[in-house]
Amino acid sequence: MTTAPHHLASVFVELAGGGAPGPPGVPTLLARLTERSRELLAVRATAVTFAPGSRDAPQVAASEAGVRRLEQDAIAWQEGPGHACRRSGRTLGDTPLNGTTARQRWPRYAPRALRLGCTRVAALPIRGHLGPVGSLILLASRQTPLTGDLMALGQSLADFAAVTLLREHEVEAGRVLAAQLEHALANRVVIEQAKGALTARHALSPDAAFTVLRGYARSHQRLLTEVAREVVEGRLDPGRPRE
Amino acid sequence: MDMVRGSGRDVQAELARRRAARARQRAEYAAACAEQQEILAASVGGELHQHLADAYRRSAECHLSSARLQEAYAERMTAWAGDETSRPRFMTGVAEACGTPSAALTLMNADHGQLSVASSDEPSRAAQDLEFVLGEGPAHDASVSGRPVAASGRAIERRWPAYGPALTSLGIREVLTAPLRTEGSCIGALAVFDPGAGPGTADTLTVIADALTRTVLLGPDADPELYDGADHRDCVQQAAGMLSVQARCRVQDALALIKARAFTDGQTPEAVARRIIDGTLKLAQGS
Repeated sequence: MTTAPHHLASVFVELAGGGAPGPPGVPTLLARLTERSRELLAVRATAVTFAPGSRDAPQVAASEAGVRRLEQDAIAWQEGPGHACRRSGRTLGDTPLNGTTARQRWPRYAPRALRLGCTRVAALPIRGHLGPVGSLILLASRQTPLTGDLMALGQSLADFAAVTLLREHEVEAGRVLAAQLEHALANRVVIEQAKGALTARHALSPDAAFTVLRGYARSHQRLLTEVAREVVEGRLDPGRPRE
Repeated sequence: MDMVRGSGRDVQAELARRRAARARQRAEYAAACAEQQEILAASVGGELHQHLADAYRRSAECHLSSARLQEAYAERMTAWAGDETSRPRFMTGVAEACGTPSAALTLMNADHGQLSVASSDEPSRAAQDLEFVLGEGPAHDASVSGRPVAASGRAIERRWPAYGPALTSLGIREVLTAPLRTEGSCIGALAVFDPGAGPGTADTLTVIADALTRTVLLGPDADPELYDGADHRDCVQQAAGMLSVQARCRVQDALALIKARAFTDGQTPEAVARRIIDGTLKLAQGS
């Protein structure tokens, strides 16, 4: 395993989010990690699972479609090298897929991987600030063991990608939060306007107007803000409260 | 009645102290990450690690500023005697951190319309009302450009033909505004008035604005209501809804009528709105 230093450097730049204008986004970074680690480590295939929050469903990427489907199924089965590694945060060393250990531990995963032409597997943790957040899975088809320098370089790639992935995840989460805040504040505006419109139309108090709005939304199983917007635009009149 | 006076004082002070403690933890954590990246910067991929180290340093600074704001609020709340007219405002601490008594925070929608406002004192609130009524000013400009906006003396009147003279007539001579930036967007602006000639005032303002955005308005410990200190101009929106029915116009036009009336009468938009709601002011023709 020899790699020109300048190539190695360019891979690190890519994993750090460089090489293209604008923030790369988590899916792009995951795809880059699988693609570049497969090339650099000269293995049959690679896959990555990433779940920054303990409640998040892991995101999956792989260097080929068959492996991606396998890893997705593995998440549903809760088995396989990626699952074990992501849970424990520990490296899972070179394991032959036709061996007893693999077949006993991963009764569904091991045969599928073998059918895809892979004979050995190893998994490296993607480490977050507070614990493991994913795994980089290396699948080999030759008898070359997944050990030594290869594993060390793989872990460097995983560590490097982890920093960028977590930062990118934070950025995306921030964007979602900002949009949610704006949405909540804008909803409040339209509801107040609708209360005002109803007080003028039916000589109600603001509280009674709100009761009418909420009652209409509930009985028609519609969102309060949608109803409010239609009232403000004069397209809907939920009427006076019933006595 | 005594139960109501100063209600929630101890609860809010305790909440602020806990938020401060969590912010300090996050600051320590970010500082540790920065150190780690600085060590790595000495080896392979130095520039990238340095870049990350800088990002962590900024993050640590943010959390630390946030912790100080929360601690200041907790202290004020604890010292408060419970008289509602003097209820401490979170914004008082924000203004103090920027070296002035007058600071105003404005959250805006994508069209830069005001959605929520909070201020430390009367002059800053009056300035915020002027921006709302006239539709121009430093918070708007900072939010549109995503950059800080500064103006003083004559430049204020030249830059904003309507807002400028109205602002200086309040006795305000300098305004400094920083955008509330998030990745890829801007959710509003923080403005300070007459901050004086303190060194690095503009830098301080940017740090405080970032701290507010990342930890007070957004994030896991967010409280965009600023301990019930945020004002959504509910009664103005309600009055606009009423007026749109009375004048048979769009709600945006009703809002414009209220703002115009506030400006010509030299009143706050809230005062005009209250008169519409209680029926003493008829802005609709023929009503």
